[in-house]
Amino acid sequence: MVRSAERRWLALAAVLLYLFLLAPVAIVVLAALNAGAYLRFPPDGLSDRWFVTFVHNRTLMRSFRYSVELAAIATVAATVIGTMTSLWLVRFSGRFRTAMRLLMIAPIAVPGILTGIALLIYFYAIGWGKAGGLPQLVVGHTLICIPYVVLIVSAVLVRFDRSLEEAARNLGADPFTTFRRVTLPLIKGAVIAGAIFAFVTSYDEFNISLLLSGVGTVPLPIELFDYLRFSFDPTLAVAGTISIAMAVAVVLITERLIGLEALYLG
Amino acid sequence: MAGAARHLLLAPAAVLLLGFFVLPYLNMLVISVMTPSPTAAYLHVFTLRNYAAIVGDAFTWGVIWHTIQIGVLTTAIALAVSYPLAYHLARAPRRRKGLLMALVISPLLVGVLIRTYGWMILLQDTGLINQARAALGLRPLALMYNDLGVLIGLVHVFIPFMVLAITGPIQGIDPELELAARSLGAGFWRTFWRVTFPLSMPGVVAGTILVFVLTISSYVIPSLLGGFKVLTVPILVIRTITELFNWPGGSAFAILFFVITIAVLWAYLRALGRAAHPGS
Repeated sequence: MVRSAERRWLALAAVLLYLFLLAPVAIVVLAALNAGAYLRFPPDGLSDRWFVTFVHNRTLMRSFRYSVELAAIATVAATVIGTMTSLWLVRFSGRFRTAMRLLMIAPIAVPGILTGIALLIYFYAIGWGKAGGLPQLVVGHTLICIPYVVLIVSAVLVRFDRSLEEAARNLGADPFTTFRRVTLPLIKGAVIAGAIFAFVTSYDEFNISLLLSGVGTVPLPIELFDYLRFSFDPTLAVAGTISIAMAVAVVLITERLIGLEALYLG
Repeated sequence: MAGAARHLLLAPAAVLLLGFFVLPYLNMLVISVMTPSPTAAYLHVFTLRNYAAIVGDAFTWGVIWHTIQIGVLTTAIALAVSYPLAYHLARAPRRRKGLLMALVISPLLVGVLIRTYGWMILLQDTGLINQARAALGLRPLALMYNDLGVLIGLVHVFIPFMVLAITGPIQGIDPELELAARSLGAGFWRTFWRVTFPLSMPGVVAGTILVFVLTISSYVIPSLLGGFKVLTVPILVIRTITELFNWPGGSAFAILFFVITIAVLWAYLRALGRAAHPGS
């Protein structure tokens, strides 16, 4: 229990920290909307010219489409595999539960850079060329998307009332029908939330893409990284703004579907 | 679902994780004791020289030491900064919690690269902060392309992880306990250090370990905000792999650093244990 003066200091500290957290994000949006080539105060006024430049930049647009395609494939794979795994973990894992759960979460617990290196060398060893290309990226991205689906879907499955499924089975439904007509509708929110997290994770993933991208078209974060080393072109801020808009959408949808409070790590 | 059929649910994940996660890591272990070659990826000849080359190189040790320093500093600052935020969040009224949680989580969902770009706009020599200083007649500060810029970027990126890790445990502390300490005459700080902080220790331990591991393995922020001037282990490893094409050397370095990380965490947990049970 803190006294009122202390509570005011705490609230002030929290406000300052939230501002610190959001500052660079807000700055990127400002830079994208700013008319000038440099962000300065007072700003040069609003303009959509950088959005137009972005859409006409063929390299960036190609990377953007590539990233969306990659994220879409990885999301579908991770959502299906992750949901199956969650069902197994919560229902049938028995004494292997802790060990298997740890293994499933491991890809986001170990440094992405290490996984990228390990995969790069491994793909070469099994003859998948000198890495590079969509199949390798899909494997790498699916690997780091599955943990989010598993975490979110199993959190909801644990609270699931199984008597509903038993009722369906008693009434003669086969296991697959029971899943499709009873289980899935009830965990739909978590599955969608997991899929959204997977999509954003893949779309923004850097470490694995850095090592597994081939020559030619690369995912957007890798293209942006190359740009950023040498220039501050506001066209990049447009790419950032798209990313930020997606993040805001994800937060709003997740809050509606499962409530953000379910996401504590502790 | 009957019998063995139910275990088919696990099959896709098991195949993927064994085939493309566990095996690649084992493979990396094997490669790290192969001989590098200028003409092939590596030669199938056993050697320990990759490890010996790293252990015997003072420059590499300097980079390792610097990486750990950045890791410890980032973790300490992130903890100090995140604690008030987490406390505020844990004690916020229920209906406001969703919004506050959204504010903490949303930066996490914007790619590291984008946030780093935001910091570059703010921190560069002609950036917004230095423009403001110039307007006030102050000398520009070197806020980027040095350790300071890297620290700012890292702390910013890892605050949400720390907040997520410690908010739960703080929420679990009964406010009555703090109230009791206060009514028995303990001041604000005494209550904090003797009641609140010790009770939130599980979250603090989880958060600091998570942030330390993520910090020392981050690549984007040190390379962009450090601008080739700040060298860390991931930068050196990536360079060995992608520019020198020395896969055995890079693998050995990565594994060695992994071992050092485990050792640092072990020492940290031991020190915590000793602080919790003095004399044992």
